[in-house]
Amino acid sequence: MNKRILSVGMAALAVAGLTLGATGCASTKKLTIAFVMGAESDPFFQAMKVGATAEAKAEGVDLIWQGDPSHYDVATQVPIVDNVIAQKPDGLVLIPTDPTGLQASSDKAVAAGIAVANVDTHTADTSKAIITITGDNADGGAKAADAIAGAIGYTAGKSYQVVVGLTSATATTNVGRYDGFKAQVKSKYPGIKIVDVAYSAANPQTANSNVNNWLTKYPNLSGIFAIDGTNASGAAAALQAKNLVGKIALVGYDAYPANVDLLKQGVFTALIAQDPAEEARLAIKTLVDYIKNGTKPSSHDVVIANVTLDKNTSDADFTKYTYVATN
Amino acid sequence: MGNSIQEGQELSFLDKVKASFRNQSTLLVVTLVILAVIFQIASEGIFLSVGTLGTVLNDWGSYILLAVAQTFVVITGGIDLSVGSTVSLSSVVAGWVLVKGMGLDTSISGDAALPYVLIATLVCLLVGLAVGALNAFLINVLKIVPFIATLATMGAMAGMAIIISGGMPLQGPNDFNLGIAYNVFGVELPISSTILTVLIITVIAGLYLHKTRFGLYTYSLGSNPFATRAAGISPARHITKVYMLSGGLAGLAGAYAYIRLGAGSPSNGAGMELYAIAATVIGGVSLMGGVGRIVGVALGTLVLFTVQSGLLMVKVVEVSPSLKQVIVAILIAAAVAVQTLQKNGRK
Repeated sequence: MNKRILSVGMAALAVAGLTLGATGCASTKKLTIAFVMGAESDPFFQAMKVGATAEAKAEGVDLIWQGDPSHYDVATQVPIVDNVIAQKPDGLVLIPTDPTGLQASSDKAVAAGIAVANVDTHTADTSKAIITITGDNADGGAKAADAIAGAIGYTAGKSYQVVVGLTSATATTNVGRYDGFKAQVKSKYPGIKIVDVAYSAANPQTANSNVNNWLTKYPNLSGIFAIDGTNASGAAAALQAKNLVGKIALVGYDAYPANVDLLKQGVFTALIAQDPAEEARLAIKTLVDYIKNGTKPSSHDVVIANVTLDKNTSDADFTKYTYVATN
Repeated sequence: MGNSIQEGQELSFLDKVKASFRNQSTLLVVTLVILAVIFQIASEGIFLSVGTLGTVLNDWGSYILLAVAQTFVVITGGIDLSVGSTVSLSSVVAGWVLVKGMGLDTSISGDAALPYVLIATLVCLLVGLAVGALNAFLINVLKIVPFIATLATMGAMAGMAIIISGGMPLQGPNDFNLGIAYNVFGVELPISSTILTVLIITVIAGLYLHKTRFGLYTYSLGSNPFATRAAGISPARHITKVYMLSGGLAGLAGAYAYIRLGAGSPSNGAGMELYAIAATVIGGVSLMGGVGRIVGVALGTLVLFTVQSGLLMVKVVEVSPSLKQVIVAILIAAAVAVQTLQKNGRK
């Protein structure tokens, strides 16, 4: 009899313990946010990782950071997204490498009850995403045109030669920036002639050769728009080696610490910077708010403008916009 | 018409011309002259200028060490796909040592930077040798074929370069004067200290390949590995030396990139392995092993970068960057086709 009471009591205790344990778990259960980017090696995504990691820490959520090490490719991204979905995160920040190629994966995540945000680029149908956050490359290109025009003292009626260093004909960021640059030149600075473009194939030494050859081909060259980090490195080295710093306007892209140093030394006339860390922070914050409280952001499509950094930029802004290396 | 002796003489003259064209180096020199004339006209007289030739030779300097490295490896019947990543990794490690390790920055320049440039060069060389040793280990001990072994290190070293640099260029002390054209009695020459150094290394490597026992073993390993083993030469030991030589040269190419750009960037060597292999093949090295000469490779590399710069200098017609890529690809294919036809003609 006593034995029976004891066993019933034990069972009751066990059930109570289990329940307590379960509720205890639920209250401390950490949210998991997965972040799938294009190519991990891209400094842009490295800078984004800094913002993502900091925000995840501040919100007290676990971060799964996944992406192909070096290829910005739909073929390698789809299996990565599928694997991440299988880990059942609460939220997914997706940087789709292709608008249609990643649509199915994105839909699959939503169907599995995962809250999805798009950052930098977006899928074809964003209606099921909680938020889409993009940087504005065309705006950055236009700002580069303004910076070059300012540096060369653009006067209507005069003619100026400018070249553009690209990575390839198809890199989406290159296309957006170059289109924005061309449009701004056409509408506001008709005296500026884009006399040549060349590809660096992502190698700064090739970018360096391109600029060296331009310096020979166009002795009256006024300005260079180096459209990304690779072209900026190659062009900066060429002007330094040929003692042309300050004589030819050089507008680069991306605020790597090294580029910011060169800007302060006058090698770059201006740098156009994105704010990848802010994009990541906003995406994670929005998802966590939505998952915890069900609040949707006030605006579904957010565009984070690029900024121009030059000799008039304040120290506070330099600190804010300089990309921080993760090592 | 009726004079058979004259006809015979003409034929023998033609034969002589044909025979000299079968020599890869003669063919490449003729190609260079033809290209120079075409580009000089198409660029409205600016191709044969110190500026353009300086750029061509600067590119030659970036790639020739990799092409020489590839030559040794390919002659043994192997291939080294990791050379481009070794350029990236070695320059990044050098940048890391100077910037993060020693806390230096770009404020040190000119002559004051020379000791640090030497440190960077030494670091690059050591990193290159280590990658070469790793390749040799994969090939000799784990018995992985060179293509796959060096493909693996190519990926791993590219990844390491990103991890160490955080994906961004590490700019440190540099003396850009090392890469500036010499000025002799007021005459500017398209050659700099860095290009001259690389030229000397190339000559030494050529002598090493063509005049020493080491070179002989290299050829014999590629043309007949069984006979080489039978002759008492350890293939594994020789392969270790060849891949370490290749890695070391790639490390020095990393130092060249650091000096050229003043920075160690994880993209410094992006895609370089393919151009190095192309230059090697244009230079007459057979991918089947056992055949090739450094002179040919030096000229092959020069042809490749003459075309690259030459197309950019063209003024008479507009050559779009995409069309340039197509033209370079066609020229590489043509160079290899000519080589194959020559060989078939010889048989």
